[in-house]
Amino acid sequence: MNFLAASIESLGAKVVGWFTVGYGMFAFLGRAGLLLLDRTTWNRATFDVVVKQVYFTAVQILHVFMGYTLVISWLIITIILSTARDFGLTEFASEMTIRVLVLELLPFLTALFIALRSGSAINTEVALMKVNNELDALAHCKVPPMQFEFLPRLIGGVVSVITLAGLAGLLALLMGYLSIYGVSAAGFEPYTRTIAKIFDFTIMAGLIAKCALFGLAVTLIPVTAGLETPKKLFMVPVSVLRGMMRVFFAIVAIEVVSLALKYI
Amino acid sequence: MAELAALPDDVARVSHELPLRANLSALDNIALIPIYQRHFGVDESNRQALHLLEQLGHAGIAALRDPDMTPAQRFITKLARAIILRRSRLIIDRPGAMLYDVPYPAFIRELAARAEMAGTWEIFDFSWNQALYQE
Repeated sequence: MNFLAASIESLGAKVVGWFTVGYGMFAFLGRAGLLLLDRTTWNRATFDVVVKQVYFTAVQILHVFMGYTLVISWLIITIILSTARDFGLTEFASEMTIRVLVLELLPFLTALFIALRSGSAINTEVALMKVNNELDALAHCKVPPMQFEFLPRLIGGVVSVITLAGLAGLLALLMGYLSIYGVSAAGFEPYTRTIAKIFDFTIMAGLIAKCALFGLAVTLIPVTAGLETPKKLFMVPVSVLRGMMRVFFAIVAIEVVSLALKYI
Repeated sequence: MAELAALPDDVARVSHELPLRANLSALDNIALIPIYQRHFGVDESNRQALHLLEQLGHAGIAALRDPDMTPAQRFITKLARAIILRRSRLIIDRPGAMLYDVPYPAFIRELAARAEMAGTWEIFDFSWNQALYQE
């Protein structure tokens, strides 16, 4: 009986904890959204931090990311093409390639890439700022941490994921064409027709919205996890661990919901 | 120390509990205040911050970040940040916790004696350090 009560109590505490974390995140997002519309937010310093964030998150890793996209795209396209040939479904290969790679796999992998590289760094930095009292110092100086530190990271994350996923998609489209038709203009018309058929307005809007949500997940969750860190240095790794687990679940949840909306 | 916790908002504090932003240079840490409080542009804010460091005799630390500074340089940056806040009171909170590499009463006196430094600086320190200030 005691065991049952303890289990229910523990489960209840976990559920309350999840709701508290979720509420905290959405409240933070709401505040960030309101500040985004505030004219005073957009001073030169905030704009400079946004540019810096986009540079560190997207531009600095561009060559590595494009190399990684090239390898992954080439592998997946080769697998799809050889499987399609084996089953006599060659005419569907280009559509399958675009749907699997450009719409699903590459945005997902881009989000994971940014989460591992920048999300973990953001989580650690915010947690250290909290532990070292840097946020208190900013508040004492009346420099709003939301405008100066957090909002630029959210914007940087969204812009970076959308841009990198877009570039990866374009590279995959090019790879797909070269793999299916080779270096020849013969397949240009059917290939572009397939692209136009797939990328209607709803799909494009859904893709951009999904990438924007991925971008928010890989920045908003690490920021809020960092802010939850108790003022103890040994809690920083725990904060990063929790934050990154939440980021992973959020990315998977966004992908699952997107797939369900599209195909079910 | 309870007095410190109860200090009003219009006090500029220099304290080891209020560190610099670690990934910004000394100049950026100071220049943030004119940008966010008085809505100056970045160039003008940097000019004001550099002028203040020059007045304090340490313009050379402008490009240094917190981990690259000596305790005295870090103190100068925090002091400049507090001065540029332009609040009615400036309190130096337990200077011994920040200035452990220099004889600090003399160091602070030297900074305060600079002709351009206006206002009165109050020092909150432990009573057993009182003798240091009488030298």
